[in-house]
Amino acid sequence: MNKLRLLLILLTSLCLLSACTPVRPWERGYLAKEEMAWDRDSLERVLNDHIFFSKEASSGGNSAAGGGCGCN
Amino acid sequence: MSKMIRIQTILALVASFALAPVFAVEEGEAAPDFTLPALQEGKAAFSLSAMQGKAVFVDFWASWCAPCLMSLPLYNEMYHKYKDQGLEVVAINVDNPIEDGLDFLLDTPLDFTIPADPDGEIPELYGVFGMPTSYLIAPDGTVSLVHVGYRNGDIETIEEAVKSVLPGN
Repeated sequence: MNKLRLLLILLTSLCLLSACTPVRPWERGYLAKEEMAWDRDSLERVLNDHIFFSKEASSGGNSAAGGGCGCN
Repeated sequence: MSKMIRIQTILALVASFALAPVFAVEEGEAAPDFTLPALQEGKAAFSLSAMQGKAVFVDFWASWCAPCLMSLPLYNEMYHKYKDQGLEVVAINVDNPIEDGLDFLLDTPLDFTIPADPDGEIPELYGVFGMPTSYLIAPDGTVSLVHVGYRNGDIETIEEAVKSVLPGN
């Protein structure tokens, strides 16, 4: 019974995996859209980051630059 | 129940790694041939095999990719500078829908060949792993430069590489 259940889980998992695919660099058009960004205003984000980094004496750790191309 | 979730998570992770692209065209390898229709209506289709004996600079770009848009006018200048010496510039647009790419060209006219590949078949074939990525193909058909991304000043490196593979050299 346990083996049957395990087989069932494996088969279900395999079916679900068909949707499991990495987004290719040339498919990032939707991700690069303004409405997909965490912040509404990129300039405001840069300013906030600058203030945060100077106060915390740290740098980086936020979203990467480059508009979703995965190039920078 | 938690065991089931654990198994499914592990399987999902394994699959995401297994499905990641493993093949990428590298410097020194032969450039895979391709044929694509032009982005703009009325223009001829492009075939890499028809470019034998020429140095071909192939670039992958999209209208949503900021560094791509920065580099294209510079590639246009480079094209005019070296086209008489046997340079061909081909900027493959991967926008889907293609109208996004056409909109960009309305504001920024470019004189080189711009094929359309909205399904991304050719970047898949080349194993592109960043946008923009460009490939400099020597007249003998081998890839002599793979350039990923675009930053200020990169055009100088690219131009140097182009000059070294021009058919006259």
